[in-house]
Amino acid sequence: MNKTLQMVLLVVVFAVMAYPLVWMLSISLRSGAGVSLRYYQEVWQAGPFDRYLLNSIVVVTLVLVGNIVFCTMAGYAFARYKIPGGRILFILVISMIMLPKQVILVPLYILMQKLNLIDTYAALTLPFAADPFNIFLIRQFLVTIPPDCEEAARLEGAGEMTVVFRVAFPMLRPALAVVAIHTCLINWNSFLFPFILTNTTEMRTLPVGLALLSQGAHSVDWGHLMAGAVIASIPVVVAFLIFQRQIISGLTSGMSR
Amino acid sequence: MTSPPALSRDFIGWRPMVMLLLPWGVIYAAFFLFPFVFSFVLAFLKYNPLNVQNTTFVGLENFSHLFNDPRFLRSLKNTLFFVVGTVPLTTAIALMLAVLLRGRVPGKGFFKAGFFFPSIVSMVVISLLFKLFYAPDGGLNHALRAFGLGGHTWLTDPSTALPAIMVMDIWAAVGYYAIIFDAGFAGIPKDLYEAARLEGAGFKDILFHVTLPMMKPVIAFVLVINTIRSFQIFIEVFMMTQGGPLGSTDTLVLYLYEAAFRHLDYGYASAIAYVVFILSGIFALLTLKRFRSDGKAPA
Repeated sequence: MNKTLQMVLLVVVFAVMAYPLVWMLSISLRSGAGVSLRYYQEVWQAGPFDRYLLNSIVVVTLVLVGNIVFCTMAGYAFARYKIPGGRILFILVISMIMLPKQVILVPLYILMQKLNLIDTYAALTLPFAADPFNIFLIRQFLVTIPPDCEEAARLEGAGEMTVVFRVAFPMLRPALAVVAIHTCLINWNSFLFPFILTNTTEMRTLPVGLALLSQGAHSVDWGHLMAGAVIASIPVVVAFLIFQRQIISGLTSGMSR
Repeated sequence: MTSPPALSRDFIGWRPMVMLLLPWGVIYAAFFLFPFVFSFVLAFLKYNPLNVQNTTFVGLENFSHLFNDPRFLRSLKNTLFFVVGTVPLTTAIALMLAVLLRGRVPGKGFFKAGFFFPSIVSMVVISLLFKLFYAPDGGLNHALRAFGLGGHTWLTDPSTALPAIMVMDIWAAVGYYAIIFDAGFAGIPKDLYEAARLEGAGFKDILFHVTLPMMKPVIAFVLVINTIRSFQIFIEVFMMTQGGPLGSTDTLVLYLYEAAFRHLDYGYASAIAYVVFILSGIFALLTLKRFRSDGKAPA
């Protein structure tokens, strides 16, 4: 293919992709005549975005820790042990990856209500603390490594927990990086479940807070809305700038495996 | 006891196994398996959360009612239109983008990152952005006017609202799939290209007779995950149109949400959920089967 044509096409596509985002940024920064952060300051307080940000950080951190610990444990067991009925159990795990999550929305809401957990961090984190996709990733990664180190540790009398967390865990680092990226992105952007499982401003996460802002008093005010949208995206942008390569290779390799 | 320590592949005993599987098992059983089964049961009940005492078993009534419910039929039609309209287009454009990224191009990493970026931004942010972008004074009409084209109220016209949302979804997703295809291209053995070139094959021959056939498993994978995702379209219509104008953007999951949390009809909502589940499963299997029956590449 012609190199110049290729370059021109790439630039055109890039411009089309970037235009809406640039437009959003310009609306959020334009106030009156010049450029200012006025909309950002006002929407930050109206949000209250500090609270949404805190909730999002707490939820994503707890879910991430849960996934790293629980999925390593389960992934290890599926990879290394002969579990009676383990194959069927593992197929059950994988089949749940593709299930449309809306199927469990209503029953999960009823369950959380019965447990008195609506509007708590527990409701926002527990159901998501052991994502089957992560178990799948860790298990697939582990079966490619021979269990020699773990055997050696067992010969020296190490218990299974020590074997998993002291010996296998450090070897899992590449897989855990993918797990972390996948878990953080999904949960940072998650909307439907956090929206249903909370009902006070104090417990809303960033996407939910932003969605409600857009349907409230500020809904006619573009500058505030776009400033809110940018605020909600800043952490993702920063993470993307720092971990760009890992995010791209992690998500694609994870998905196409 | 001096019995030899268990080998990894042997049965290691119940204690460590149970210990390692327990946290996941509890979460899985409580927040997944139980709701999944409960949802199935709910679909056969008349269940109102404000009047739980009067819950009754209604058999297949929820399902049979679906097919006499104009809003359900409309939502089904719109969702199918959305899936059939976006999935092949997204895949085709993503493939073209990946082809564009082939070879040595200056600034390749920059382009890749730029194309990929929208797919990591929250759908709430994207929907909100495009709601204003499509407005009469929004960015799209602003750009169109530069080309001398008249403005249009994209989201308030029943004939353009759903297509406008579909274009947005394609915009948001192509980069992600393009990067997956790019990774797939990299996995094709180099000597295949060399052999084709030695036989005098041009760019087009190589693309259609070497690259694309080798990419079949990746294309099948992308079609399947995108189909399943697209059946779940909700945030976009919830944020941008609430199903309007005139029901032209009603979708299955939006209806599910409203049946459950506005009309408080949990049984009916669960029936809709199972329709989404079964339909997306059927579509995914048909896609896989189509790609396998050609017998060229194992998916």
